[in-house]
Amino acid sequence: MQIKNEKDFWAGLMFMGFGLAAVTIAVGPPAFLVAAWKSMGWGNLQYGYQMGTAVRMGPAYFPTMLGGLLAFLGFIVFLRGFFSELPPETMKANLSFGILDFVVGVALFAGLGYASKVMFKSGDYGMLAASVILAVLSFLFRPKTKPLILILACGMVFAYLLKPLGLVLATILLVFVAALGGHEYKTKEVAIVAVVLSIFSVVVFVYGLTLPFQIWPAAFY
Amino acid sequence: MEILSNLALGFGVALSPFNLLMCLVGVVLGTLIGVLPGVGPVATIAMLLPITFNLNPIGALIMLAGIYYGAQYGGSTTAILVNLPGESSSVVTCLDGYQMARRGRAGPALATAAIGSFFAGTISTLVVALFAPPLAEVALKFGPSEYFSLMVLGLVAATVLASGSLIKAISMVLLGLLLGLVGTDVNSGVLRFAFGVSELADGIGFVVVAMGMFGLAEIIVNLEQKEAREVFTSKVGRLMPSKEDFKRMTPAILRGTALGSALGILPGGGALLSSFAAYTVEKKVSRYPAEFGKGAIEGVAGPEAANNAGAQTSFIPLLTLGIPGNAVMALMIGAMMIQGIAPGPQVMTERPQLFWGMIASMWIGNLMLVVLNLPMIGIWIKLLTVPYRILYPTILVFMCIGVFSLSNNPFDVLIMAFFGVLGYICAKLACEPAPMILGFILGPLMEENLRRAMLLSRGDPLVFFQKPISATFLTLSIVLLVVISLPALRSKREEAFAGDEQK
Repeated sequence: MQIKNEKDFWAGLMFMGFGLAAVTIAVGPPAFLVAAWKSMGWGNLQYGYQMGTAVRMGPAYFPTMLGGLLAFLGFIVFLRGFFSELPPETMKANLSFGILDFVVGVALFAGLGYASKVMFKSGDYGMLAASVILAVLSFLFRPKTKPLILILACGMVFAYLLKPLGLVLATILLVFVAALGGHEYKTKEVAIVAVVLSIFSVVVFVYGLTLPFQIWPAAFY
Repeated sequence: MEILSNLALGFGVALSPFNLLMCLVGVVLGTLIGVLPGVGPVATIAMLLPITFNLNPIGALIMLAGIYYGAQYGGSTTAILVNLPGESSSVVTCLDGYQMARRGRAGPALATAAIGSFFAGTISTLVVALFAPPLAEVALKFGPSEYFSLMVLGLVAATVLASGSLIKAISMVLLGLLLGLVGTDVNSGVLRFAFGVSELADGIGFVVVAMGMFGLAEIIVNLEQKEAREVFTSKVGRLMPSKEDFKRMTPAILRGTALGSALGILPGGGALLSSFAAYTVEKKVSRYPAEFGKGAIEGVAGPEAANNAGAQTSFIPLLTLGIPGNAVMALMIGAMMIQGIAPGPQVMTERPQLFWGMIASMWIGNLMLVVLNLPMIGIWIKLLTVPYRILYPTILVFMCIGVFSLSNNPFDVLIMAFFGVLGYICAKLACEPAPMILGFILGPLMEENLRRAMLLSRGDPLVFFQKPISATFLTLSIVLLVVISLPALRSKREEAFAGDEQK
């Protein structure tokens, strides 16, 4: 079988994934898996939500309906990926990353997030570290993903460093990381934009709208 | 004349100095983001929502509404001068507006757009004032089954009017409904789909979803393409259209206004759909069909009137039924909820000042927009020369601060990034995000009404077909779905949205 319409193929898989995940979480994993889980000594697998009846719907009822329908429609979209009559070159998804890159990214966030939760009782460090590592990886090995990864990373860097670094430095960092994601990078211009924006955000958000942000790094206080 | 006293009340509210200021802020911001390509009203309103916390409800809603219809004015400026849709609803204005500019008639084109928009704004304000009250009265009699069916109709209409594949649009709605269920279930108190994350107990903030799906994804997609913008600002020239121009544009504006007002009320309608429909109509009825695409003034007047009319009448379902017709209205619902107002038919009776004040402010806003857009056109043109590489970091700073300040927690930015990825993937896979946002807003409401309806009917699903109003809504939904799946119409629909894809 040849994939004729990449867009439908991947969109179908995505919808099926979301739909099946919703149903599985709502109904709970199948009985044999729960039994197998227990026999491995891993404890009790959390067993779904209550289904209820049509008269008194439990928390699982509506999501199961929706998830099932979504998975079904996703399957149709997925099948359509093989039977498209449109010219295949217009049906390319043109995603800037491959499926392997995607798995690496998700694994990085899940792994570091979990590790930092165990070690520091907070996932924040893991999320920040994963964003930075992913940004560096994208910069070095996948220049095509720069717009995607660096635009997302700049927000993460800002959010997780706002409390320790203060608004001014966090804004400057944000602008520099974001600028690296664009086509043209002119250090001087970016520096001016960064300074202007940090002054502007301090004036508008801290003094004007009185948002409770610290302006300078916490160490200064 | 009840309506006159109501409108008087509305103008009284809207003309208070503070509300006038809010209206001005809204329309200026709206024009600004309308002029700038790559910044849409959805992302802007989402960005400003956290700030509206500190405002009073009337001022906040007046400002947010101003952004939406203001963006329709600004969008046409960019379309005419740069051949880029500043706003998605001005895609069709590019066709003839830019051609007029190339022939040295940029001034009349801009003036036509502004006159058409103002006329449409005036009429559609009246339409809202006339049609909203009776509709709200009917809606007060709605029970849970009627509400459920109405939401089904709204969502079906939204998918039908979305561009691209119908199945994918329905899937996006379902995905949105599911995401809307994340958090604590009101009936049982069970925490659903939260994965042990305490921040998700109250559900995912829809501001965060909207900013990720629209704001972030838009920037990423824009950055992947090379920046190519040729500003056509050499000379705008004489603004005033000639006598001949007036003669040709008047019927076009009338048709556009009527069409836009009607289409805006439909669930799923709004500015975008109205402008497309108006262009098609103008092309069909024109005595000079050969001129279309080469600078026909009707091709500017009709769609511009229609998109403004549609933008305003799309407030009708929001104000009377509490049901959003498009993504911007979904955000308005969010704004009302932030202010502690339950959207629905009771808004008109319980808060007449809000209701009529908002309607009156629309007309005042339109007046301000004409002044802002015609004599001050030079300022907006200057703005167009700001390169995107300076613009997008600025947008990002506002977005991040806005999202972070929702609860002073980096977690919200993390969720926004997640939806940024999802939005990017959806854009690449030709899945529209707008139906998803609608589903997301309606998810909890739909479940709630479904539960109540089923409880009242003792579990009999036929209740939805036994009540006449509910049955009508569901029948309409089914008819819409069947009609749109017919092969003949399907190709028509794809044709209508073909121009949209190139944006």
